Amino acid sequence: MKKKLLALLLALCMVFVLAACGSETDSDAETSGGDSGEASGDTIKIGMIGPQTGSNAAYGTSMLEGLQMTIDEINEAGGILGRQVELIATDDRGDATEAQNAFNNLISQGVTLIIGSATSGATSALTNLANEEGVVLITPSATADDITTEDDYVFRACFKDTLQGSIAAAYVEQAGITRVGTIACSADPYSSGLVNAFISACQERGIEVVEQQSTATMDAQDFTNQFTAMASADVDLVYAIYYYNAVGPFLVTQARAAGYDGIIMGADGYDGALDYVSEGADYSAFNDVIYTNHYDPSDTSAAVQDYVTAYSELYGTTPLCFAALASDCMMMLQTAIETAGTDEASAVRDALSDTSVTYEGVTGTFTLDESGTPIKGAAVISFAYDESVGGLDGLGTELVTTISSDEIA
Amino acid sequence: MKKTIRRGYLVNTAVLVAVYILCVVLANVFSEVSNFKLILTPSIWQCCYLIILAASLNLVLGFMGQLSLGHCGFMAIGAYTAALISLAFQRAGVYDEKSGIVFVLILFLCVICAGVLAAMFGVLVGIPALRLKGDYLAIITLGFGLIIVNVINNLPFAGQNGLAEGVASSSLYQNGLGFGTTAKVTYLWVALAVTIICVALMFMFIRSKYGRAVRAIRDDEIAASAAGINTGYYKVLTFAFSAFFAGIAGALYACSNSTLSTASFSFTNGSILNSTFVVVMVVLGGMGSLTGSIVSAVIMFVLNYQIANGSWVSSLPGFIQGVFTYPMLVYAIVLVIIIMFRPKGIFGTYEFSLLRTPGEFVRWIKGLGGKKKAKPEGKEAAAQ
Amino acid sequence: MGEFLQTLFVGLRLGSVYALIALGYTMVYGIIRLINFAHGDFIMVGGYTLIFTVPLMTAAGMPAWMAVIIAILVCALVGVGVELIAYRPVRKKGTNMTALITAIAMSLFLENLAQAIPAIGPNPMVAGTFFESGGFRVAGVTLDYTTIYTIAVSAVVMLLLYVFTQKTKMGRAMRCVSEDKSAAILMGISVNKTVLTTFAIGSGLAAVAALMYIAQYPSVYTTIGSLLGLKAFVAAVVGGIGIVPGAMLGGLVIGLVESFSTAYISSSLTDTFVFLILIIVLLIKPAGILGKNVGEKV
Repeated sequence: MKKKLLALLLALCMVFVLAACGSETDSDAETSGGDSGEASGDTIKIGMIGPQTGSNAAYGTSMLEGLQMTIDEINEAGGILGRQVELIATDDRGDATEAQNAFNNLISQGVTLIIGSATSGATSALTNLANEEGVVLITPSATADDITTEDDYVFRACFKDTLQGSIAAAYVEQAGITRVGTIACSADPYSSGLVNAFISACQERGIEVVEQQSTATMDAQDFTNQFTAMASADVDLVYAIYYYNAVGPFLVTQARAAGYDGIIMGADGYDGALDYVSEGADYSAFNDVIYTNHYDPSDTSAAVQDYVTAYSELYGTTPLCFAALASDCMMMLQTAIETAGTDEASAVRDALSDTSVTYEGVTGTFTLDESGTPIKGAAVISFAYDESVGGLDGLGTELVTTISSDEIA
Repeated sequence: MKKTIRRGYLVNTAVLVAVYILCVVLANVFSEVSNFKLILTPSIWQCCYLIILAASLNLVLGFMGQLSLGHCGFMAIGAYTAALISLAFQRAGVYDEKSGIVFVLILFLCVICAGVLAAMFGVLVGIPALRLKGDYLAIITLGFGLIIVNVINNLPFAGQNGLAEGVASSSLYQNGLGFGTTAKVTYLWVALAVTIICVALMFMFIRSKYGRAVRAIRDDEIAASAAGINTGYYKVLTFAFSAFFAGIAGALYACSNSTLSTASFSFTNGSILNSTFVVVMVVLGGMGSLTGSIVSAVIMFVLNYQIANGSWVSSLPGFIQGVFTYPMLVYAIVLVIIIMFRPKGIFGTYEFSLLRTPGEFVRWIKGLGGKKKAKPEGKEAAAQ
Repeated sequence: MGEFLQTLFVGLRLGSVYALIALGYTMVYGIIRLINFAHGDFIMVGGYTLIFTVPLMTAAGMPAWMAVIIAILVCALVGVGVELIAYRPVRKKGTNMTALITAIAMSLFLENLAQAIPAIGPNPMVAGTFFESGGFRVAGVTLDYTTIYTIAVSAVVMLLLYVFTQKTKMGRAMRCVSEDKSAAILMGISVNKTVLTTFAIGSGLAAVAALMYIAQYPSVYTTIGSLLGLKAFVAAVVGGIGIVPGAMLGGLVIGLVESFSTAYISSSLTDTFVFLILIIVLLIKPAGILGKNVGEKV
């Protein structure tokens, strides 16, 4: 008897909840950011979709932090077009279906300008929906080539894979290196996408890709075998695409221990790796580790320095590239809204589609191409260990060179 | 054919058709309402594949009593099969717009192919795996689930742009099905029809002589084989049957997502669609109750959706709201509580029946007011 | 030759960690026939405890690895807590299957709880070095000291566990409980106390495994235990679950398979090979390499 009672109760609950989910629209979502003192009808609503929990949570949380900081700054300065900006943040847990649900829910709340999501997998699930619904979607860090196409509502603030891959290949050519190897993770679109782009760019430039290795997961702990193979193939440079959480603690030290002495090259995922170097490790291993990045954090330009200082004052850490890119997304939106004179999605889209507009963000000065992807050069940055300073403090970054977008054409 | 059985078939078919028509009519009436389009329709799509997935696992877990922790692997096979076959048709120029009779035929062809391929892999996995049981089977199926995902990651035609333009990658960005918001409303009838047919087939399976044999194996394998049941045959058959429906669930998944990524079919991940949570749904609903699986799939979906997107969450007191930002934490607690207080799941082995349940319900309502004489629980389990 | 040796050493390095973790799994499984899915997450607990206590230890002038004592205590406490709060009530009421699902739920719970704690958060944390770097050089290839220590620690732990289960009163009680619970009760053995001790020891071992793991791979994150725990469990099954030396053997086998398949077959299909080995072993010898096949009683 109790069993049926429980079953009935649950069924009733379900019906109510379903009914509730069908009817509610007006109220705000769980996290409303900014100090939106004014009436909510008068604010510009910006939606954010990103992984706040789950295994990609680090990307989403720093996205949110950067975005929140920028929006607070905008609001303090009087908002956009005299209206305050309201951030509605949602959590997609790094999953495509959850991202779609969050996206649809944001639209039903009347949000038409959305920043997200962090990874290509989740973002690619949203692009068709954004075009169909006429909602502007700017992704800070989805790098897969097909995310943005011409004449659509999707834009981004980061490189696409082919661009970053060709930049790396251009650097390799400039440095006069002819034998390279690659290490990618087949289970991760960022890693495999970038390495595939690098390989095809190398073939165009006549650089020989001698050895290709891979790992099964991004969480792989041991790269020794892969680098042993590189050492015996006698390559001068290894293009290994992993994130800071593998590069800092063990990838580099294992490579050196495996007898590989050449250059290790990475991409923007290496940014911040020095914060994750194990104390007491062999710091000199980090010499000859270089990576392409959107910007040089040690850049003395005011935009970068102000941002890094403000961010570390607020959150106590140096910003990951996800935070800086999310802030740039907001900056792009701000510029577009001001140009359009309205926050209506189609007008904002037209403003963003204008390829002559120059954006000055934390991650560099850039214009957008026809598809809505930034045309920007990259900074090639190297880790360097200064033995005279010693210890963890002796590790730093230095700018090797900058490669402009003309050089890769 | 006995009179009651014939009456049962008639009533059940009639009601299923009526429910289906009602749903489709409702869908057409509300198709212009924005919340129906944006929220309810995608939700129904998600519920549909979750229901098929949970119910199909229940065949193995609840009715055969074998724990399989790699069920989403079969779903992955189905999803990729459907996406790639439809993509091949699209690239070949058979259809361009996602409409018209040709597209609908291809859609159903994809669904069937997804199921058949998954069932073939079900046999392949089942023959070696089902020689083991209990915890060993759990681990070996988990292993198979991981292998399937790992292999798909390395198939050059199943990544990036797919087929000839593909590169080995965990994401497939092109999908011949992949409905947008409007197409989801248009083809809602497909999701409903497929789900109703699948669930009806599973009900028929468990009530057939095959179903009885499978339950006999669950209750006592040695006694069952002594009674002349070919246990190996029935186990592999059920496993393949279950994989078939998981593959169909995968095809529906491919319809509702414009891109596929193998991370969605892993052992655990951020969403509720993974091998762990399918097991959770089955246990929550009751092992050995298809009704339970269906209800708990919907409950899990609604709970998950509401925790992530519901506006009422923001009106909760701060602490609970803080807990709700970590949904997996909530599910873990709910799961432990349910198992502690109701180890058999919500429905136990109770099955909904159109012929019996209304009568039972009336008696139960009467019983609430009158004397509290509980009916013995075993009776209804035996009666199905 | 050099490459072969290097691959061998990598295999040993991975395998020794798997072996240590597998010992904890095998211990718990041997007694209560439960795959403790949360064991991988005990490693995460141990790892974070180490990261937070190492500065205290070094400040007190003790070597960093001494922090493992605190980690063992914390992990044992968590293990006992999980047993008391979740596993025991479920075991009383439910079946094997529900117990297994509770274990999965506890694993989810611990992983996400850790992420919700502000001091931990979603970003990984990095540990310092525990042992001196360097190692023996054989034919131009280095076998680090850390690997040797890990193998030594696993061997010592294995021996201690073996002696403990064979010679002490508590150990005999454990074996008795695993063989026949009701007979154990009749013999005056407190089943609950025995199971609790098992959990304390098993979880304490997770802390030791965490120390050796982060000495090799100095990074801790909240989901560290999921794949690691899975592979270690596979190791325990391959060696013969419930058999202490089997865990050690299985760990090394899995480590070597992983390393050699990476180097010589395909580096992106490593997981496939690890699980293929499991499947092959289970099909040929369902009770594991060192296990004895016991026919089912009718």
